Amino acid sequence: MEDQNLPDDETLVRRTQNGETRAFDLLWQKYSPRIYSLIYNMTANHEDSNDLLLEVFAKAYRSINGFRGKSSFYTWIHAIAVNMTINFVKKRGRRFQLSLDDLDTNVQNDKELIDLAATNSPTREVDLSELQQRLNEAMMKLSVEHRAVVTMFDIQGMPHAEIAKILGIPEATVRSRLFYAHRQLQNYLEEFRKK
Amino acid sequence: MMLDDQQLQKLLRIKRFEQPPPGYFDRALIEFHRRQREELLRRSATLIWWERFVSGLGNFRVPSYAYAAVLGGFVVVATIVGSGLWAPYKETTDVSTSRAVLSGPEAQKVAVNRLALSGNLDWSTFDDSASSPKVVPVIRPSQTALPRYVLDGRPVSYKASFSF
Repeated sequence: MEDQNLPDDETLVRRTQNGETRAFDLLWQKYSPRIYSLIYNMTANHEDSNDLLLEVFAKAYRSINGFRGKSSFYTWIHAIAVNMTINFVKKRGRRFQLSLDDLDTNVQNDKELIDLAATNSPTREVDLSELQQRLNEAMMKLSVEHRAVVTMFDIQGMPHAEIAKILGIPEATVRSRLFYAHRQLQNYLEEFRKK
Repeated sequence: MMLDDQQLQKLLRIKRFEQPPPGYFDRALIEFHRRQREELLRRSATLIWWERFVSGLGNFRVPSYAYAAVLGGFVVVATIVGSGLWAPYKETTDVSTSRAVLSGPEAQKVAVNRLALSGNLDWSTFDDSASSPKVVPVIRPSQTALPRYVLDGRPVSYKASFSF
């Protein structure tokens, strides 16, 4: 959905600040898939992700006049999304249901991933979607702060420095959270493999 | 065998493909616009202005030179007041130069009070019969009293200590 022909963020933000609502729609077009993915991987629920996505952009729109460009719009809106999602997940507590069931069909044909699923299940035939489900369950066992780091680094492919800026923490903390989260995930998945 | 980091990352990469159904973001944008309009109708203009103000305040930074300017101003005022160049509450004992707006007996009363406060009132000539009611006895300083001093918490006087 991202369009390479869109004007740069700075221009779009300035135009939005000048009251051009169409410019904000372009920012939506550019960033909503990434923000949705971020929220979705932290909440594991489509309905919650949908509501939060709308709230994040509504908050960004209300606050855009205060945006002075000291960080990029990308960092700024990601920071809003992460903070709102962390607050939401903490408030929600354990009352949630996994709804991570809308895998893109391309995944089912990804040879590398199918091989990986097969090689990691020598004792039984593991369906890829089952492995996926276990991974999601394992993700949800992480604290929301660790989940945020894993989502941004492993799933969205952001560099450590960018994650540190978004979360407002040192890079070393990002690395240590990642290390701890990976160990946790490996342990959870190992338990599943042994069953 | 435990999953190594690379294998875990490959597994996590699967999650990149988890996307909502096609057309979702366009529909969500329409929903976003609808909520924006609804919000505008529901909230007062004052509230919207206030939210924008608070949001702008969060980004407001006091320039570093402002601290230096405030400190400099404080030093200048302190110097002027400390050196006595400007004393807005300077006490005056001269009745004739006082800026009393009262006249007649009221002005006289104020002047006498000021003299009494300054210690320059001649108590022997002071007639308080008319000005003060006889509810409480008027205490006048003793004419025979000698100066007394207190040093180191113990009374010291030219007289014997038992007179205290």
